[in-house]
Amino acid sequence: MASPSQVVTASQGEVFDIELEIDILKENRRIAEENRKRLDAKKIMAIDVMGSVGSGKTSLLKVMTRKLKGTYRICVIEGDVTTTIDSDLIASEGVPAIQVNTGKECHLDANLIKKALDRMPLDNLNLIFIENVGNLICPAEFPLGSEKRLVVISVTEGPYMVLKHPMMFFDADVVAVNKIDLAEAMEVDPQKLIADIAHINPKTVAVATSCKTNVGIGEVIEAIGLNPP
Amino acid sequence: MHEFTVTSWIVDALLDLVRKQSASRIVEVELRIGKLRALSMDQLKFCYEVLSKGTVLEGSTLVFEESPGKARCKNCGYNSEFDPDGDEYHYGLPILACPACNSTVVVEGGDECVITKVRMEIPSSPERTVRG
Repeated sequence: MASPSQVVTASQGEVFDIELEIDILKENRRIAEENRKRLDAKKIMAIDVMGSVGSGKTSLLKVMTRKLKGTYRICVIEGDVTTTIDSDLIASEGVPAIQVNTGKECHLDANLIKKALDRMPLDNLNLIFIENVGNLICPAEFPLGSEKRLVVISVTEGPYMVLKHPMMFFDADVVAVNKIDLAEAMEVDPQKLIADIAHINPKTVAVATSCKTNVGIGEVIEAIGLNPP
Repeated sequence: MHEFTVTSWIVDALLDLVRKQSASRIVEVELRIGKLRALSMDQLKFCYEVLSKGTVLEGSTLVFEESPGKARCKNCGYNSEFDPDGDEYHYGLPILACPACNSTVVVEGGDECVITKVRMEIPSSPERTVRG
């Protein structure tokens, strides 16, 4: 009598190892590239603005847009956790601003910018500033699709802030060392901060600025590659 | 803080994989995280615990492999791995100045966040082939 043919069955719940390569940050990069292409097609320059809470990002944008609004058709994306305080401040300069509130997140991501771009009259613009949530760590991790990156720091953050947050300066094209009108009271030397920045990233251009006295604003505009009026 | 966002992307990618492979449970997940990526592994683990609750991922463990930073100088050809946490690299600081010629180095590695291996339970059939 022939023996019954053998049937091989795998046991229930077998465990498999699957080797793969899933890049978790790829999707954000992909959307950022899409944003960039969309902006390029419309010949719009987008500039990231990042830095700590209270470093003067919005104040700097206020004085910069005041100087540039005659030359450029500008819109500002204001990223915050909550409130429309910043977009209201920019709007008071007669420049359109869109508030993007992250709710609980500490940074903007490419998808939020994509949504903001959907709501913007891109045909009527040639310059967009994207002010990120005040934070020195997280925003550096998530590209948004901009062409240039402006980091704003201030003397009120103390003499060692650059050395303590080197990563923020890796991709910075321009750094504004802000509030130099307070440097003496703070006993912080802006030139030391500028030297620290040059040490971390020799390619970046650092400029001492004050939004109160208008020092350095024109230099920042030029360093970004914009044409001052 | 952004670990929460990144972990939610990891969880999404794993749940997608679970659907594709018809897996019943995830046992272990290996990740390669670059040392230049500002991601805290403790926080990733904590967020993963929270976000995996109530899914087939619950109870699985995260295993990390850290990849070093890599810098190359286009000017003088300096090419080296570096550890931004260690003392031996550039005064202990991750900086972009080339230690050999002081021009700017290009970072060529150490910024990744990749799922490299997933151990999963699959209710099996003999014909089944498993592909990543």
